[in-house]
Amino acid sequence: MIQGSDLEMFERSLRQATSRHTGVALDAALVDLGWLDALESDAHTAIALLFPLQGGANATSFALDRVLMTGLNRGWALEPAVVMPPLGSWRAPAQLMGAGLNIHGLGSSALGSHSTALVVARSSDPTVDTVVEVATATLTLRCVEGIDPDFGLVEVSGESVDCAHLGDIASTEWDASVGLAQVALGYELVGAARTMLELARDHALNRVQFGQPISRFQAVRHRLAETLVAIEAADAVLAATGEDPSPQLAAAAKALSGRGARTAGRHCQQVLAGIGFTAEHPFHRYLKRVLVLDQLFGTSRALTEGLGNELLAGRRMPTHLPL
Amino acid sequence: MDLGAFRKGLDDWLDQHEAELAPDHSGSGTLVQHLEQLAKVKRAGFEAGWMRWGWPERVGGLGGSAILRAYLGEALMARDLVSAGGYSMTEVLAPTMIDFAPPELAATMVPRLLRGDEMWCQGFSEPSTGSNLAALNCRATPTDTGWRVSGQKVWTSYAQFAARCVLLTRTGPAESAHRGITAMFVDMDSPGITIRPLTTMHGVEEFCEVFYDDVLVPFDRTLGQIDRGWAVAMDLLPYERSTSLWHRGAFLQRRMNEMLAAVPTGALSAAEVGEVAQNLYAFRARSRATQRRMAAGDRLGPETSVDKVLVASAEQSVFDLVAAGLAAEVIGGDDGASERWRSEFLYSRAATIYGGSAEIQRNIIARRLLELGDDR
Repeated sequence: MIQGSDLEMFERSLRQATSRHTGVALDAALVDLGWLDALESDAHTAIALLFPLQGGANATSFALDRVLMTGLNRGWALEPAVVMPPLGSWRAPAQLMGAGLNIHGLGSSALGSHSTALVVARSSDPTVDTVVEVATATLTLRCVEGIDPDFGLVEVSGESVDCAHLGDIASTEWDASVGLAQVALGYELVGAARTMLELARDHALNRVQFGQPISRFQAVRHRLAETLVAIEAADAVLAATGEDPSPQLAAAAKALSGRGARTAGRHCQQVLAGIGFTAEHPFHRYLKRVLVLDQLFGTSRALTEGLGNELLAGRRMPTHLPL
Repeated sequence: MDLGAFRKGLDDWLDQHEAELAPDHSGSGTLVQHLEQLAKVKRAGFEAGWMRWGWPERVGGLGGSAILRAYLGEALMARDLVSAGGYSMTEVLAPTMIDFAPPELAATMVPRLLRGDEMWCQGFSEPSTGSNLAALNCRATPTDTGWRVSGQKVWTSYAQFAARCVLLTRTGPAESAHRGITAMFVDMDSPGITIRPLTTMHGVEEFCEVFYDDVLVPFDRTLGQIDRGWAVAMDLLPYERSTSLWHRGAFLQRRMNEMLAAVPTGALSAAEVGEVAQNLYAFRARSRATQRRMAAGDRLGPETSVDKVLVASAEQSVFDLVAAGLAAEVIGGDDGASERWRSEFLYSRAATIYGGSAEIQRNIIARRLLELGDDR
């Protein structure tokens, strides 16, 4: 457990690393700073420290791969990339067909720099998933330019790919890993949203119209206040997942973060107006990043509908977070 | 007494006394019945000690953290034993008395509120000063024998049932704004007080116009310093947005569950149900952190406006779902359960108006949390 002044110092170092580096350079900085050890000893704290900063700096790293590994690792002493589900999905990204693997998923920017990838595959038994290792050279990879080329997403596919069996896990373990990934992505979304708010706030204080800064206009103030409320709502649930690791709460946290970040994007873009619509201003990078992050491990839309279906079927709303 | 022991002991006590604590009325009940029920539960809780934990010993409490009070109210709401509105007056007004009343006055009066002997009310708003509280006009003039108060208050909840009122008055010049306000503790049976209940759109005489005509209030009923009543009001507001909001959240969770149990299959889309549930979780997570900060002795401030925005939006979204999912009951039902859904749906329309409107909360967030400077 990292606490007190150690926590503050660690946070400062991570802030510096994420603001200076991205991609493999940030990976190296995270290793140097001991973030992997922190992740191993106290996953929630490590996630809650790094991902808001990564989102706030529009940086990329292998951190999400490592979060997934934390949930799945059985001491296999591997350092591979992890294949994620395709856009919009949170199901295990592969299916075992006899000895071969059919795979359709996504890799983070880390995939290109690793020779092997860890893949979770569905088996014929719905309660059991199988963890396998594949050589990245045997997969069909497409660098996704798309709406946010800087994010470095890689589309991964393959039919009947050779793979090495590492072991079986209960599918609830996959669910727990998905939960951790959702919390990490939620924090990254919240970080991006806070930067959007900061950009819009600075603009509102400095942009003069009708003889006064536009921050004096209630329409502008209320948009920014709404943005902060949406961010704080998501952040509160993200923080609470550290005490209640149920998949239901993690999914709710991701959905609130995705929706909150999109609310932030809408209000902040309107406040930034013309300048925020240009490629010269940094705002657009955050807006685009938010749209991609919302798609990973379940969109806010799909997760919200999923929760609604659970509640309507069970005819009750489970109580989380006792006082 | 730590929270774990308190929770266990209270839950056991509530189980054992379920029958005697249950409301005597069925269906939606009248306001008088709600307040009688509130008094009954507070009295039993006080005698058994539960209602005294979390309050200082000098006002009849047993000490311990304020988080015990947060759990007590949550447990009472979850079991549908008291209504959130009536119960909130204790959480809002007792801390103010403890912080600002002369010690002997607090020691005499607060136990009466905790024990359910008396209902109290809060005289803040006036016809010409709603959101702009600092412009209030109700005048208090010093005389040889005490304050002489003349003016009008409005939206005073439960005034017709209240024995006392925490009243804000103008003691400075008209233009003194927040620097010329004095708070006082007024007996509602004082000569010169006229109360006219207002009927709300959900058919309840919950709040009143209160007229003060040369009402004499002894000087020893002054709360805080003369002309410093704004501090009393500002001190009270974070209480209004902490424990009692947690209690309201517990009420909303219970009604959400009861709605899910009663809603016809196919009446609601999964997406809308999911979003409302997420909003309730978000409020709960936020307010839970606030309760813990308060228990740790942190001073609550403008950040509680975020809690207030979240609970008000959550309340309206829960009852929007009710109005859609239980439309037959809300629109056309005449049984007790339907009357209650309808009443609560209509009441929820006020959630973004009372206790500092949604716009005022956003103004506070913009000025104090985002530091956007003054808006004029």
